[in-house]
Amino acid sequence: MLSIKNLHASIGEKEILRGIDLEVKAGEVHAIMGPNGSGKSTLASVLAGREDYEVTAGSVQFLGKDLLELAPEERAAEGIFLAFQYPVEIPGVSTTNFLKSAVNEIRKYRGEDPMDAVQFLKMFKEKMAYVNIDQSLLSRALNEGFSGGEKKRNEIFQMAVLDPKLAILDETDSGLDIDALRIVAEGVNKLKGPDNATIVVTHYQRLLDYIVPDYVHVLYKGRIVKSGTKELALELEERGYDWIKSEVDQ
Amino acid sequence: MLTAELNNSLQEIAQNLGLESVQGKALQEFISKGFPTSKWEEWKYTSLKDFNGIARNWSPKANFTLSSSLDWADFVVQTSNGYVSWDKSRIQEGFALLSFEEFLQKCPQFESTWSKKNPLLEQNSLFDLNVALNPQHMVLWIKKDTEVTKAILHQYQVAASENASAVQARWLIYLEEGAKATFIEQQSSTGSGDILSNFVQEIFVEKGAQFTYLKEQDFQTGVSHVDHTFIYQAEGSQVDTFTFSLNASLIRNNLHFYIEGPQVVSNLNGLYVPGENQLMDSHTVVDHRMPHSESNELYKGVLMGNATGVFNGKIFVRQDAQKTNAFQSCRNVLASTRATMNTKPQLEIWADDVKCSHGTTTGQLNEEALFYMRSRGISLPAARTLLLLAFVQEVINKVEHTEMRELLTEKIVSKIQQSVDLSN
Repeated sequence: MLSIKNLHASIGEKEILRGIDLEVKAGEVHAIMGPNGSGKSTLASVLAGREDYEVTAGSVQFLGKDLLELAPEERAAEGIFLAFQYPVEIPGVSTTNFLKSAVNEIRKYRGEDPMDAVQFLKMFKEKMAYVNIDQSLLSRALNEGFSGGEKKRNEIFQMAVLDPKLAILDETDSGLDIDALRIVAEGVNKLKGPDNATIVVTHYQRLLDYIVPDYVHVLYKGRIVKSGTKELALELEERGYDWIKSEVDQ
Repeated sequence: MLTAELNNSLQEIAQNLGLESVQGKALQEFISKGFPTSKWEEWKYTSLKDFNGIARNWSPKANFTLSSSLDWADFVVQTSNGYVSWDKSRIQEGFALLSFEEFLQKCPQFESTWSKKNPLLEQNSLFDLNVALNPQHMVLWIKKDTEVTKAILHQYQVAASENASAVQARWLIYLEEGAKATFIEQQSSTGSGDILSNFVQEIFVEKGAQFTYLKEQDFQTGVSHVDHTFIYQAEGSQVDTFTFSLNASLIRNNLHFYIEGPQVVSNLNGLYVPGENQLMDSHTVVDHRMPHSESNELYKGVLMGNATGVFNGKIFVRQDAQKTNAFQSCRNVLASTRATMNTKPQLEIWADDVKCSHGTTTGQLNEEALFYMRSRGISLPAARTLLLLAFVQEVINKVEHTEMRELLTEKIVSKIQQSVDLSN
């Protein structure tokens, strides 16, 4: 599904990704872990198409297409979803209006007819159950005055509505208490299927108690320096990142 | 300063008016001042310097073209090039439309209100020009405790003629004690050509009266519209104004509120959306002269193409106006890198027990928000449109009159969409 080869990316003069290789297949869950400043969030942003970063080398194929050639909205229409670490406040635009625009723009891209109000109502109702989100929250201006938990829950609700092929969760656990974490993780798990894949970017292991990864990769200084199964995450939890740093730095 | 040629032709008109007449004197006053240029403090960003050399037809004829059948207004009155026309059969009990002279005869008590009205706070040669040359000084008189059910609609139109022209129109609205009315004014133009549209409107709102005034300004290219709206409010009255500036080569709005009694509420709402080669200038004055009153001002602008916007908001709180609450907010989005916005809030407070605040902001659309929306599949033009519409909605949604709210939404959406599509 996703094939990243020798990906290099910089912001300004500073190179942050220094040759990432990663293969993700349908049905898989990959965790990207690593110490602060290792390039985790940059990788997520580059995949979603944030224009602040310049890709200097390498390639990213997504379902047979050159992802790096596509605008952010085209990537979304192709099936990529980024759950933001810090969801942005959109004053004056309700979640429902926002998602209606998003869904119909994506349908237009795919050559499908727009959905009408009745279809939306039905679909929203169905998806609301995934993350236990309240209707009143969806009528408010998107993310404006939302608590940390409400913002993250709203991200997962959006994900449920947009039904992506590849979901990238960028530090979705940050700022969440344990109950909110469980609700968000349950939502993600319900959306998991044989045809879609998930990349979980996280600093801590605790989210991985709920979203169990098939593979764990450790990012350090812009490269994947170690890959393994979920046991690697447990080892990191126990021993920290220092042993990996010293292995790499030697 | 006027060019010699223009000076001579206006002198000739002044002679014909009679040099000692009110009109003749006003015209001479205008001739001595000329059109405002950027050297005038209040016209720094809206210079009419070029107008000092443009020969015009100073008394264009009426040219009525609008239809007046509308089910959402109780009464429709039209102004064409300053001349007024209305269906007399639709006049209802409780209000009247008549000339200023006739009004003074029928309503002698107004004489004292009129004579003690405050002098204008700004040097304003266009006001003199209007006094000199307006063809018909009309009065809309809404009588004591009358409640206008739907709305009174004023279709204000200027029509282009072969040569450049100058239109003067002058209105007065008088709401007696306890009267309540919604007044909708649709300003527009026909034909293409250079028109100076110079409109003076004085509104007197007596004790406990309530007045909602919705102004839509949608002119063709070539029209420069200067709008003077002066509102005088007595005790316990409430006035809500909504000024929507959609299209014209140039719009200058002078909106003044004179608060002359306690427990007065004044709400000023404005939205301007200038595009390519358009300039829109809002100069507002709220003059708190008496205690225990409040004013709320919310102005917003979206500037597209190479548009220029100006906002100057003055609030005066005089020494006697204790316990005044006065709030002002002006927020602008530059939707293009070529657009310019000039803002100047100006508060002068002499009373010590008052609450006043003001804030002006001018910025661009939030890049983070745009990326967030794009990452959900919304294209860049659609994302920009969505954010801009959300921004203007705050003002539009305050309009209670459903048909006008829908009409304005439609027009503003289409203007913003067009501009966003062009820029991509």
